[in-house]
Amino acid sequence: MNERRREVLQMLAAGKITADEAEGLLAALEKQSPPVAGSAAEVPAKTKAKYLRVVVDAAKSGELGGPTKVNIRVPMQLLRAGVKLASLIPPQAQIYLDDALREKGLTVDLSQLKPENLEELIDGLNDMTIDVDDKDAKVAVFCE
Amino acid sequence: MIPLLAEVRVDSFKRLPKSNRSYPPRARLRLWIPLFLVWLLLLPLVLLLLPVMAVAALALRINPWRALTAFWGLFTGITGTNVELNDNKAAVRIRIF
Repeated sequence: MNERRREVLQMLAAGKITADEAEGLLAALEKQSPPVAGSAAEVPAKTKAKYLRVVVDAAKSGELGGPTKVNIRVPMQLLRAGVKLASLIPPQAQIYLDDALREKGLTVDLSQLKPENLEELIDGLNDMTIDVDDKDAKVAVFCE
Repeated sequence: MIPLLAEVRVDSFKRLPKSNRSYPPRARLRLWIPLFLVWLLLLPLVLLLLPVMAVAALALRINPWRALTAFWGLFTGITGTNVELNDNKAAVRIRIF
């Protein structure tokens, strides 16, 4: 508790100011002072995820039934670059691609795949965690 | 940052068919690849091909500068990639620094 806040509370205790006046003074002090390190008022800056991790732990796989572990870490920058590359597809090629995807049952419009839309998606991936637990395998996909 | 170094490690295990135990690796491959030297060797070739690629991009109605920045982003984005695969028969690790 800093000195100014203490003085306001002391004035209130001494009856020199009313409760409303004390509240106004304290609010003004809070606006003026910067947040103290470690205080509840300080909101930590959200760190952006740098990597996409895929971890697979399969108890039995393959013809011999041995355990298999897969651990993949891909930088987010690579994903962003991949989308930027996809946005370079010529319009006439995009039409062919859209038709081919539609034949497979995927209604995707590749012309809407834009880098600015991807940034919002990647920001949302910060909190994404996918866990699949099966008796034979565990899969975890998350960002870090 | 462009990838400067790559580590490739492959361990191949001997394994009895009726057992799930794995034995010490019978074949081991460990490579440290100095990618910065590879890029130095490829640089003249890339510089020679740049005008050709620019013309091709214009012919396909693609902005050459955007294409170049996209490929550069892809190239620099590989740094930090780790791939590890382990099973009874082999362990493979690829890391790019």
